Parts: sequence; C-alpha cells; structure tokens
Amino acid sequence: MSLSIFAAALLNPNLPAPVGLTAWNGSDPAQRFRVYRNNVIVSLVDALADTFEVTQELVGEELFRAMARLYAYAHPPQSRLMAFYGDEFPCFIESFSPATALPYLADVALLEYRRVVAYHAADVPGVGAEAVADVLADDVFLPALVVSLHPSISVVASAFAVVSLWAAHQGVLELSAVAPEASETALVLRNGIEVEVLQISAAAGAFICELRAGTNLGAAAAEATGIDADFDLVAILGLLLQKSAITALHPSGSPS
Amino acid sequence: MNKTLTAASLAFALGAAMTVASAPVAAADMADKEKCYGVAMKGKNDCKAGAGTTCAGTSKMDHQGNAWSLVPKGTCEKTVSKTSPSGYGQLAEFKEKKA
Repeated sequence: MSLSIFAAALLNPNLPAPVGLTAWNGSDPAQRFRVYRNNVIVSLVDALADTFEVTQELVGEELFRAMARLYAYAHPPQSRLMAFYGDEFPCFIESFSPATALPYLADVALLEYRRVVAYHAADVPGVGAEAVADVLADDVFLPALVVSLHPSISVVASAFAVVSLWAAHQGVLELSAVAPEASETALVLRNGIEVEVLQISAAAGAFICELRAGTNLGAAAAEATGIDADFDLVAILGLLLQKSAITALHPSGSPS
Repeated sequence: MNKTLTAASLAFALGAAMTVASAPVAAADMADKEKCYGVAMKGKNDCKAGAGTTCAGTSKMDHQGNAWSLVPKGTCEKTVSKTSPSGYGQLAEFKEKKA
C-alpha cells in the first residue's frame, strides 16, 4: 500500500479503507480506519474553530463545523504550523452557497485570519521622533519619501461592516446596533505584543496599501485624496506613528 | 490622478501627525503591562495565537492558574480570582485551590 493511496482515502470518505491494513487486536481495519479518518478531520475542524471564532459565532456551531469539514477535505494543511491553517478558508466561505445569506462572513473570516498572521509577524521597532525630524529638515525630499510599515500591518477593505461585526463579538459593541451593510475598512496591526483591529476610512486603507507596495508618500497621498477629497493624511500618519507602525523612512526613495 | 502633493503640504501633515502621535503612546507597551495569572476567563486568555499554538484560548476552566492575561500594570492583584489562594490574580503561576 502506498502513502498516496492511504492519504487519498484519508481525505475522501467515499473511498474504501486502503487494502493491506491490519488491526492489532483483530478488529475490522476498515472500521478502525474510519475512526482515524474522523479524528484527523475533527482535529482540523477544531483548528479552524480556534482561529475563526467570530465566524463560528455568526453562523452557529453546526453550520460552521459542516463548512469547516468540507474545507478540511478539500484543503488539507500544507504546513505543520496549525496556527496558519485556514488561509484559504475565507475564499472557501465566499463560494460556499449555504453561507450566501451572510455575505459579510468571508470578510469577517479574513479579518480573523489576518489577526493571527499579525500576531506571528516579525518584531520591528517603530521610528522615533528624531527620524521624523530628520526627514522634515529636508522637506523637498518628502514627496519621494518611501515609508516602511510594520510587517504585521494589513488592510481588510470590505463592502460590509467588518470591524463592527467583529467588535460586537468582543463585547465592545452591541450586535443589534450593527448595520452589516455599511462598508468598513479594517486596519490590523500588532503594537508590541497586542494585535489591534482599527477602523479606518477606505481612502486611508488605499493609502496604506500604496505605501506597502513601495509607492512614495506624495503619490500615495495623492491617490488617497483622489478616492476621497476628505482623506485625512494627518490622522492616518498620526495613527501609524502612534502605533509604532512606521518602521523606517527612506528619503532617497528606495528602501535599503 | 498622478498629481502629487507639494513638499510643504506633506511636511505640514507629517509634522502635525507627530503632534497627534505624541499623545500617550506607550499604553500598549509591554513596559507598563504585567503578566497576570489566574484572571482570564475560560478560553479568553490574551495569547490568542491561532490554532495549534500552546496557548491560544486553551484555558479550559475559568480562572485557570497557568493562563495569563495582560492587564494594566497594578491592577492584577486587585482582580478577583476564585481559584487563587489569595483570592486575587497573582504575578506568577500558582496552583489553583479548589473553588
């Protein structure tokens, strides 16, 4: 019996137990194999339930576990690091028809996954006031300034109230007060050892994505102002500095 | 769309942002937090690190002695813990007393 046959049977309940299995006590190997297969899948479903807590609360345990089970069969882990298991789960949810009644579910799941990723991102200290003063001293270079952001940073731009829905499940907000159809953009970052979820404007989200892509400050700010004339550059830069999320400033353009 | 902002306006924004940011920054720093054992509710301990990590929401009972939450410094020993021998959270792991 080859490992690939064994693995295929493990992930497809419609396949019979691999030929050649024996049980130590003479019991039916097919029955023992079904128990093992179930344990494997249940452990993966449990792992998803750990990461996607709010998602589970939104759909209820029964639907969540059914959905997670299908995901586990279709997307077995590619890494032994279970913390990162479920990276494709938000996409899976998006195309999972029983969940279409909750169109915001995939985005909430994405937010939850990004929190885990932020938790495990590398530590990089934020820039201090001196570094900012240095670049301010020569302001002709400011439009070309390239800004490095903390590795934990990510933006979840949603057509739904992704931040409020998530916050309502942290006891911060009453769920009944949340209008799920209001578009919200989430900024996820880790400041010190604490992962934070902050609501920012769509334009500020675009600004951060531009900076992450290496766009210089002048062009990124112009892009954001183009999206929303009310884009508040001071507020978002202030927030990033306050959260130690700006890790380097490169006046000459490209990061070293 | 490719118009870029002037150096002066960017300098103003960055300068003003510094003032915004210099409001109490360190609130989330480890420096003024302490690890507090025995005050996390079941499954709500702070070290949410995803599935399979040793400590992600793994505390199986309320006020488990070896599970900690980050709490503002100074508040730990004022937080009631049913299982702690002192009746309050402690700054080190402890063996739970029977509640």
